[in-house]
Amino acid sequence: MGLIQRLVEEAGIPTISMGNAADRMAHIKPPRAMLVRFARGSMFGEPGNVKRQRRIILDALEALQTMTEPGTIQELPYRWKQPDPE
Amino acid sequence: MPIDLDAFKPAYQKWVEESLSDWRAGNRKEIVKKYPLITPDDIPWTAYNGQPSNQTFALVTSGGLYLKDSQPPFDTESIHGDTSFREIPKTVSRQDIGIAHAHYDHSLAEQDINIVFPIQRFVELENEGIIGRLTDTHYSFSYVNDAVSLVSETVPELISRIKAAGVDVLFLVPV
Repeated sequence: MGLIQRLVEEAGIPTISMGNAADRMAHIKPPRAMLVRFARGSMFGEPGNVKRQRRIILDALEALQTMTEPGTIQELPYRWKQPDPE
Repeated sequence: MPIDLDAFKPAYQKWVEESLSDWRAGNRKEIVKKYPLITPDDIPWTAYNGQPSNQTFALVTSGGLYLKDSQPPFDTESIHGDTSFREIPKTVSRQDIGIAHAHYDHSLAEQDINIVFPIQRFVELENEGIIGRLTDTHYSFSYVNDAVSLVSETVPELISRIKAAGVDVLFLVPV
């Protein structure tokens, strides 16, 4: 996915991605990414947590507008089956 | 700088030759460690301008999603993975989506497809005007090792389609 993201960004379309592995992200260097602490196959946390899914997407929309440095990775505070911060 | 396929290609071919027997035996952890990861020096950048509320968004997932009734599943047997993608319409119903990807546990996505492909959340944001438009067509990839075909064939095709659809921002969700 990192390669796809890089090529699309290079082609002139801004991109933002989710990620859960800081070491792999350091290798492939996505232009903009949100880092979560969730396992493979569930970048938005436990199934059915609609409120959190929405919140993560809103975080990403905000990041799109505020990230100015190529390769910025923003770590999100959400944790598996734990209440989200206020 | 574009991705250096000339350097990757021989390393990848060597990896395939050396890994085939382990791949067939199912020793996937071992061969993943030896995969010749591409490590670019630079980071591409297109400045983001404007407001999400005026723009068109598209989603890409690598969750291995396909339409059960009208599209073939991804190849989950080949050591190369499957470099093709499937188009998933915005109006898709959950029951029409199949998952073909041998390298993650689908059980969570089976309960809620939005954790690999947050289409319902994006539709809601479009309805509320938080994003301007959610494009009609979204994209799923699956497991890929053959970065040569991916970079030289599949992704250029993806780019041409999203450009034709007037996509302003691409949101990517890997598994």
